[in-house]
Amino acid sequence: MKSSVTEILGCEYPVIQGGMAWVAEHNLAAAVSEAGGFGIIGAASAPADIVREEIRKCKALTDKPFGVNVMLLNPNADEVADIVIEEGVRAVTTGAGNPAKYMEKWKAAGVKVIPVVASCAMAVMMERAGADAVVAEGMESGGHIGSTTTFALLPQVVDAVKIPVIAAGGIADGRGMAAAFMLGAQAVQMGTRFVAAKESIVHANYKEKIVKAKDIDSTVTGMSTGHPVRCLRNKMTREYLKMEKEGVELMELEKLTLGSLKRAVIDGDVVTGTLMAGQIAGLIKSEESCSDIIKGIVSGCEKVIGEYK
Amino acid sequence: MFDKLKEIIAEKLGAEVDEITEESRFKEDLEADSLDLFELVMAIEEEFGASIPSEDLEKLATVGDVIEYMKKQGIEG
Repeated sequence: MKSSVTEILGCEYPVIQGGMAWVAEHNLAAAVSEAGGFGIIGAASAPADIVREEIRKCKALTDKPFGVNVMLLNPNADEVADIVIEEGVRAVTTGAGNPAKYMEKWKAAGVKVIPVVASCAMAVMMERAGADAVVAEGMESGGHIGSTTTFALLPQVVDAVKIPVIAAGGIADGRGMAAAFMLGAQAVQMGTRFVAAKESIVHANYKEKIVKAKDIDSTVTGMSTGHPVRCLRNKMTREYLKMEKEGVELMELEKLTLGSLKRAVIDGDVVTGTLMAGQIAGLIKSEESCSDIIKGIVSGCEKVIGEYK
Repeated sequence: MFDKLKEIIAEKLGAEVDEITEESRFKEDLEADSLDLFELVMAIEEEFGASIPSEDLEKLATVGDVIEYMKKQGIEG
Protein backbone atom coordinates (compact mmCIF):
# COMPACT_ATOMS: atom_id res chain seq x y z
CA MET A 1 0.00 0.00 0.00
CA LYS A 2 1.82 3.10 -1.26
CA SER A 3 1.20 6.76 -0.57
CA SER A 4 3.23 9.96 -0.70
CA VAL A 5 4.21 9.28 2.91
CA THR A 6 5.63 5.80 2.23
CA GLU A 7 7.75 7.49 -0.47
CA ILE A 8 9.05 10.07 2.01
CA LEU A 9 9.74 7.51 4.72
CA GLY A 10 10.87 4.62 2.54
CA CYS A 11 8.54 2.12 4.18
CA GLU A 12 6.07 -0.39 2.80
CA TYR A 13 2.86 0.64 4.57
CA PRO A 14 1.58 4.11 5.53
CA VAL A 15 1.48 3.15 9.20
CA ILE A 16 3.67 5.06 11.66
CA GLN A 17 4.28 4.28 15.29
CA GLY A 18 4.08 7.30 17.59
CA GLY A 19 7.21 8.43 19.44
CA MET A 20 5.87 7.94 22.95
CA ALA A 21 8.13 8.80 25.90
CA TRP A 22 9.59 5.71 27.65
CA VAL A 23 7.54 3.38 25.40
CA ALA A 24 8.97 4.07 21.96
CA GLU A 25 12.43 2.54 22.44
CA HIS A 26 14.54 0.58 19.98
CA ASN A 27 12.80 -2.81 20.28
CA LEU A 28 9.39 -1.40 19.39
CA ALA A 29 10.66 0.94 16.65
CA ALA A 30 12.66 -1.86 15.03
CA ALA A 31 9.73 -4.29 15.18
CA VAL A 32 7.42 -1.76 13.52
CA SER A 33 9.91 -0.95 10.76
CA GLU A 34 10.70 -4.64 10.20
CA ALA A 35 6.96 -5.25 9.78
CA GLY A 36 6.82 -2.67 6.97
CA GLY A 37 5.56 0.28 9.03
CA PHE A 38 7.66 3.20 10.21
CA GLY A 39 9.04 2.86 13.74
CA ILE A 40 10.00 5.87 15.81
CA ILE A 41 12.26 6.19 18.84
CA GLY A 42 10.86 8.72 21.28
CA ALA A 43 13.77 10.82 22.53
CA ALA A 44 11.46 12.49 25.08
CA SER A 45 13.65 13.81 27.90
CA ALA A 46 16.27 11.07 27.67
CA PRO A 47 19.94 12.12 27.90
CA ALA A 48 21.51 12.60 24.48
CA ASP A 49 23.93 9.65 24.77
CA ILE A 50 21.01 7.32 25.55
CA VAL A 51 19.23 8.54 22.41
CA ARG A 52 22.34 7.79 20.34
CA GLU A 53 22.56 4.34 21.91
CA GLU A 54 18.88 3.67 21.18
CA ILE A 55 19.39 4.63 17.53
CA ARG A 56 22.38 2.30 17.23
CA LYS A 57 20.54 -0.57 18.90
CA CYS A 58 17.63 -0.05 16.51
CA LYS A 59 20.00 -0.17 13.53
CA ALA A 60 21.37 -3.47 14.83
CA LEU A 61 17.84 -4.93 14.76
CA THR A 62 16.69 -3.65 11.39
CA ASP A 63 18.10 -2.43 8.07
CA LYS A 64 14.85 -0.63 7.37
CA PRO A 65 14.43 3.11 7.92
CA PHE A 66 13.09 4.43 11.20
CA GLY A 67 12.72 7.82 12.83
CA VAL A 68 13.24 9.75 16.05
CA ASN A 69 10.72 11.97 17.80
CA VAL A 70 12.41 15.06 19.16
CA MET A 71 10.63 16.59 22.13
CA LEU A 72 11.43 20.26 21.75
CA LEU A 73 10.94 21.17 25.41
CA ASN A 74 13.78 18.84 26.30
CA PRO A 75 16.82 20.88 27.36
CA ASN A 76 18.90 18.40 25.31
CA ALA A 77 16.92 19.02 22.12
CA ASP A 78 19.87 20.83 20.46
CA GLU A 79 22.11 17.84 21.05
CA VAL A 80 19.49 15.32 19.94
CA ALA A 81 18.91 17.38 16.80
CA ASP A 82 22.59 16.88 15.88
CA ILE A 83 22.62 13.19 16.81
CA VAL A 84 19.85 12.33 14.36
CA ILE A 85 21.97 13.92 11.62
CA GLU A 86 25.18 12.18 12.68
CA GLU A 87 23.43 8.82 12.85
CA GLY A 88 21.74 9.27 9.47
CA VAL A 89 18.20 8.86 10.79
CA ARG A 90 15.62 8.88 7.99
CA ALA A 91 13.06 11.20 9.56
CA VAL A 92 12.23 13.17 12.67
CA THR A 93 8.86 13.97 14.06
CA THR A 94 8.73 16.82 16.54
CA GLY A 95 6.47 17.52 19.47
CA ALA A 96 5.89 20.17 22.11
CA GLY A 97 6.87 23.21 20.13
CA ASN A 98 8.28 24.84 17.06
CA PRO A 99 11.13 22.97 15.28
CA ALA A 100 11.88 25.86 12.89
CA LYS A 101 15.35 26.50 14.27
CA TYR A 102 16.53 22.97 13.35
CA MET A 103 14.76 22.81 10.02
CA GLU A 104 17.61 24.13 7.88
CA LYS A 105 20.27 21.74 9.13
CA TRP A 106 17.95 18.74 9.06
CA LYS A 107 16.93 19.50 5.50
CA ALA A 108 20.55 20.04 4.47
CA ALA A 109 21.42 16.62 5.90
CA GLY A 110 18.52 14.95 4.09
CA VAL A 111 16.57 14.19 7.27
CA LYS A 112 12.84 14.29 6.56
CA VAL A 113 11.01 16.60 8.97
CA ILE A 114 7.48 15.89 10.14
CA PRO A 115 6.19 18.19 12.90
CA VAL A 116 3.19 17.14 14.94
CA VAL A 117 0.63 19.94 14.68
CA ALA A 118 -2.61 20.70 16.49
CA SER A 119 -3.89 23.57 14.33
CA CYS A 120 -4.02 24.74 10.72
CA ALA A 121 -1.95 27.86 11.38
CA MET A 122 0.82 25.75 12.85
CA ALA A 123 0.65 23.36 9.90
CA VAL A 124 0.95 26.25 7.44
CA MET A 125 3.91 27.76 9.30
CA MET A 126 5.64 24.38 9.35
CA GLU A 127 5.03 23.84 5.64
CA ARG A 128 6.53 27.25 4.94
CA ALA A 129 9.56 26.43 7.09
CA GLY A 130 10.19 23.37 4.90
CA ALA A 131 8.44 20.44 6.60
CA ASP A 132 8.05 17.32 4.41
CA ALA A 133 4.72 16.37 5.97
CA VAL A 134 2.80 17.05 9.17
CA VAL A 135 1.07 14.83 11.70
CA ALA A 136 -2.37 16.26 12.50
CA GLU A 137 -3.02 14.94 15.97
CA GLY A 138 -6.46 15.13 17.51
CA MET A 139 -7.28 15.27 21.20
CA GLU A 140 -8.41 11.62 21.22
CA SER A 141 -4.72 10.77 21.48
CA GLY A 142 -3.00 9.60 24.59
CA GLY A 143 -0.40 11.74 26.35
CA HIS A 144 -0.04 15.47 25.72
CA ILE A 145 -2.94 16.69 23.61
CA GLY A 146 -4.38 19.70 21.81
CA SER A 147 -8.05 20.59 21.92
CA THR A 148 -9.46 19.70 18.48
CA THR A 149 -10.63 16.22 17.53
CA THR A 150 -9.02 14.24 14.71
CA PHE A 151 -12.30 14.17 12.79
CA ALA A 152 -12.49 17.97 12.77
CA LEU A 153 -8.79 18.85 12.61
CA LEU A 154 -7.68 16.46 9.87
CA PRO A 155 -9.74 17.70 6.87
CA GLN A 156 -9.02 21.32 7.82
CA VAL A 157 -5.27 20.72 7.93
CA VAL A 158 -5.49 18.76 4.66
CA ASP A 159 -7.09 21.82 3.04
CA ALA A 160 -4.61 24.24 4.62
CA VAL A 161 -1.36 22.68 3.32
CA LYS A 162 -0.03 21.05 0.16
CA ILE A 163 2.36 18.65 1.92
CA PRO A 164 1.05 15.22 2.96
CA VAL A 165 -0.86 14.95 6.22
CA ILE A 166 -0.59 12.02 8.61
CA ALA A 167 -3.58 11.40 10.86
CA ALA A 168 -3.14 10.62 14.56
CA GLY A 169 -5.50 10.27 17.47
CA GLY A 170 -8.32 7.77 17.76
CA ILE A 171 -7.07 5.31 15.16
CA ALA A 172 -6.51 1.66 16.08
CA ASP A 173 -7.93 -0.46 13.26
CA GLY A 174 -8.62 -0.60 9.52
CA ARG A 175 -11.87 1.31 9.79
CA GLY A 176 -10.14 4.22 11.50
CA MET A 177 -7.39 4.16 8.90
CA ALA A 178 -9.93 4.14 6.05
CA ALA A 179 -11.80 7.04 7.65
CA ALA A 180 -8.56 9.00 7.96
CA PHE A 181 -7.82 8.37 4.28
CA MET A 182 -11.33 9.55 3.35
CA LEU A 183 -10.61 12.79 5.21
CA GLY A 184 -7.48 13.26 3.13
CA ALA A 185 -4.71 11.68 5.20
CA GLN A 186 -1.81 9.95 3.41
CA ALA A 187 -0.82 7.82 6.40
CA VAL A 188 -1.81 7.13 10.00
CA GLN A 189 0.16 7.27 13.20
CA MET A 190 -0.86 5.06 16.11
CA GLY A 191 0.37 5.19 19.67
CA THR A 192 -1.87 3.27 22.05
CA ARG A 193 -2.19 0.31 19.70
CA PHE A 194 1.59 -0.11 19.75
CA VAL A 195 1.88 0.41 23.51
CA ALA A 196 0.00 -2.89 23.73
CA ALA A 197 2.11 -4.63 21.04
CA LYS A 198 3.98 -7.85 21.92
CA GLU A 199 7.34 -6.24 21.17
CA SER A 200 6.58 -3.21 23.33
CA ILE A 201 8.63 -3.22 26.56
CA VAL A 202 5.74 -1.68 28.48
CA HIS A 203 5.00 -3.54 31.72
CA ALA A 204 2.35 -6.28 31.46
CA ASN A 205 0.15 -4.51 34.04
CA TYR A 206 -0.04 -1.39 31.85
CA LYS A 207 -0.79 -3.41 28.71
CA GLU A 208 -3.52 -5.27 30.57
CA LYS A 209 -5.08 -1.93 31.52
CA ILE A 210 -5.23 -0.96 27.85
CA VAL A 211 -6.61 -4.31 26.73
CA LYS A 212 -9.29 -4.16 29.44
CA ALA A 213 -10.10 -0.47 28.94
CA LYS A 214 -13.60 0.51 27.87
CA ASP A 215 -14.64 3.44 25.69
CA ILE A 216 -14.97 5.95 28.53
CA ASP A 217 -11.96 4.92 30.58
CA SER A 218 -9.62 7.74 29.60
CA THR A 219 -9.58 11.13 31.23
CA VAL A 220 -7.60 14.35 30.86
CA THR A 221 -5.48 15.78 33.64
CA GLY A 222 -3.94 19.24 33.59
CA MET A 223 -6.64 21.09 31.62
CA SER A 224 -6.30 24.00 34.08
CA THR A 225 -2.51 24.12 33.91
CA GLY A 226 -2.39 24.42 30.13
CA HIS A 227 -0.66 21.04 29.77
CA PRO A 228 -3.48 18.55 29.27
CA VAL A 229 -2.53 14.86 29.32
CA ARG A 230 -4.85 12.02 28.38
CA CYS A 231 -4.47 8.83 30.37
CA LEU A 232 -6.51 5.97 31.77
CA ARG A 233 -8.38 6.64 34.97
CA ASN A 234 -6.74 5.35 38.15
CA LYS A 235 -5.98 6.51 41.69
CA MET A 236 -3.46 9.05 40.38
CA THR A 237 -5.94 10.71 38.00
CA ARG A 238 -8.67 10.76 40.68
CA GLU A 239 -6.39 12.54 43.13
CA TYR A 240 -5.04 14.85 40.45
CA LEU A 241 -8.46 15.90 39.19
CA LYS A 242 -9.73 16.42 42.72
CA MET A 243 -6.75 18.62 43.57
CA GLU A 244 -7.09 20.45 40.26
CA LYS A 245 -10.72 21.22 41.06
CA GLU A 246 -9.72 22.54 44.46
CA GLY A 247 -7.27 24.88 42.77
CA VAL A 248 -4.15 23.32 44.32
CA GLU A 249 -0.83 24.89 43.26
CA LEU A 250 0.88 23.54 40.15
CA MET A 251 3.90 22.53 42.24
CA GLU A 252 1.72 20.23 44.34
CA LEU A 253 0.08 18.74 41.26
CA GLU A 254 3.45 18.07 39.71
CA LYS A 255 4.47 16.00 42.71
CA LEU A 256 1.82 13.49 41.67
CA THR A 257 3.10 13.17 38.12
CA LEU A 258 6.84 13.36 38.79
CA GLY A 259 8.26 10.12 37.38
CA SER A 260 4.76 8.70 37.09
CA LEU A 261 5.03 7.64 33.43
CA LYS A 262 8.20 5.68 34.14
CA ARG A 263 6.48 4.07 37.14
CA ALA A 264 3.69 2.87 34.87
CA VAL A 265 5.80 1.80 31.87
CA ILE A 266 8.78 0.24 33.64
CA ASP A 267 7.55 -0.73 37.13
CA GLY A 268 3.98 -1.59 36.15
CA ASP A 269 2.58 0.69 38.85
CA VAL A 270 -0.96 1.11 37.53
CA VAL A 271 -2.16 2.75 40.75
CA THR A 272 0.02 5.85 41.06
CA GLY A 273 1.55 5.71 37.56
CA THR A 274 0.38 7.71 34.54
CA LEU A 275 -1.21 5.28 32.07
CA MET A 276 -1.06 7.43 28.97
CA ALA A 277 -3.52 6.07 26.41
CA GLY A 278 -5.92 7.39 23.81
CA GLN A 279 -9.72 7.21 23.75
CA ILE A 280 -9.45 4.34 21.30
CA ALA A 281 -7.94 2.05 23.98
CA GLY A 282 -11.37 0.46 24.37
CA LEU A 283 -11.10 -0.94 20.85
CA ILE A 284 -7.88 -2.80 21.61
CA LYS A 285 -8.72 -6.33 22.74
CA SER A 286 -5.45 -8.19 22.76
CA GLU A 287 -1.68 -7.96 22.70
CA GLU A 288 -0.55 -8.61 19.13
CA SER A 289 2.77 -8.54 17.32
CA CYS A 290 3.63 -5.40 15.36
CA SER A 291 3.49 -7.43 12.17
CA ASP A 292 -0.05 -8.65 12.92
CA ILE A 293 -1.14 -5.14 13.92
CA ILE A 294 0.19 -3.55 10.74
CA LYS A 295 -1.01 -6.27 8.35
CA GLY A 296 -4.38 -6.31 10.11
CA ILE A 297 -4.95 -2.58 9.89
CA VAL A 298 -3.84 -2.37 6.26
CA SER A 299 -6.01 -5.29 5.11
CA GLY A 300 -8.89 -3.99 7.23
CA CYS A 301 -8.55 -0.58 5.62
CA GLU A 302 -8.51 -2.04 2.10
CA LYS A 303 -11.53 -4.21 2.86
CA VAL A 304 -13.57 -1.29 4.23
CA ILE A 305 -12.70 0.96 1.29
CA GLY A 306 -13.44 -1.89 -1.16
CA GLU A 307 -16.86 -2.52 0.33
CA TYR A 308 -17.97 1.08 -0.02
CA LYS A 309 -16.83 1.71 -3.55
CA MET B 1 -0.66 50.46 13.08
CA PHE B 2 -0.91 49.90 16.81
CA ASP B 3 -4.69 50.23 16.86
CA LYS B 4 -5.15 47.70 14.09
CA LEU B 5 -2.63 45.38 15.72
CA LYS B 6 -4.44 45.68 19.04
CA GLU B 7 -7.70 44.76 17.33
CA ILE B 8 -6.16 41.64 15.81
CA ILE B 9 -4.56 40.59 19.07
CA ALA B 10 -7.80 41.17 20.96
CA GLU B 11 -9.75 39.10 18.46
CA LYS B 12 -7.31 36.22 18.25
CA LEU B 13 -6.56 35.97 21.98
CA GLY B 14 -10.01 36.82 23.26
CA ALA B 15 -8.61 39.85 25.12
CA GLU B 16 -9.98 43.38 25.61
CA VAL B 17 -8.48 46.04 23.34
CA ASP B 18 -8.02 48.35 26.36
CA GLU B 19 -5.82 45.92 28.26
CA ILE B 20 -3.30 45.61 25.41
CA THR B 21 -0.23 47.85 25.57
CA GLU B 22 3.15 47.70 23.87
CA GLU B 23 4.51 46.15 27.06
CA SER B 24 1.93 43.33 27.13
CA ARG B 25 3.63 39.94 27.05
CA PHE B 26 1.77 37.41 24.91
CA LYS B 27 2.29 34.41 27.14
CA GLU B 28 2.28 35.92 30.62
CA ASP B 29 -0.14 38.84 30.29
CA LEU B 30 -2.41 37.77 27.45
CA GLU B 31 -2.30 34.05 28.26
CA ALA B 32 -1.51 32.97 24.73
CA ASP B 33 -0.30 29.42 24.19
CA SER B 34 1.95 28.34 21.34
CA LEU B 35 -0.99 27.59 19.04
CA ASP B 36 -2.44 31.07 19.67
CA LEU B 37 0.88 32.58 18.61
CA PHE B 38 0.84 30.70 15.28
CA GLU B 39 -2.71 31.92 14.77
CA LEU B 40 -1.74 35.50 15.59
CA VAL B 41 1.27 35.52 13.28
CA MET B 42 -0.85 34.30 10.37
CA ALA B 43 -3.38 37.07 11.00
CA ILE B 44 -0.70 39.76 11.31
CA GLU B 45 0.95 38.61 8.09
CA GLU B 46 -2.36 38.77 6.29
CA GLU B 47 -3.26 42.23 7.58
CA PHE B 48 0.09 43.98 7.24
CA GLY B 49 1.72 41.98 4.47
CA ALA B 50 4.57 41.20 6.87
CA SER B 51 6.60 38.02 6.68
CA ILE B 52 7.35 36.33 9.99
CA PRO B 53 9.17 33.01 9.56
CA SER B 54 8.46 30.52 12.31
CA GLU B 55 12.07 30.55 13.55
CA ASP B 56 11.53 34.19 14.58
CA LEU B 57 8.49 33.45 16.72
CA GLU B 58 10.58 33.04 19.87
CA LYS B 59 11.88 36.60 19.52
CA LEU B 60 8.40 38.07 19.71
CA ALA B 61 7.58 38.11 23.41
CA THR B 62 5.66 41.37 23.65
CA VAL B 63 3.34 43.44 21.50
CA GLY B 64 6.15 46.02 21.20
CA ASP B 65 8.46 43.32 19.80
CA VAL B 66 6.00 42.72 16.97
CA ILE B 67 5.83 46.45 16.18
CA GLU B 68 9.64 46.70 16.12
CA TYR B 69 9.86 43.57 13.96
CA MET B 70 7.48 45.01 11.40
CA LYS B 71 9.21 48.41 11.39
CA LYS B 72 12.39 46.61 10.38
CA GLN B 73 10.48 45.26 7.40
CA GLY B 74 9.48 48.80 6.54
CA ILE B 75 5.89 48.35 7.73
CA GLU B 76 4.71 51.37 9.70
CA GLY B 77 1.03 50.95 9.01
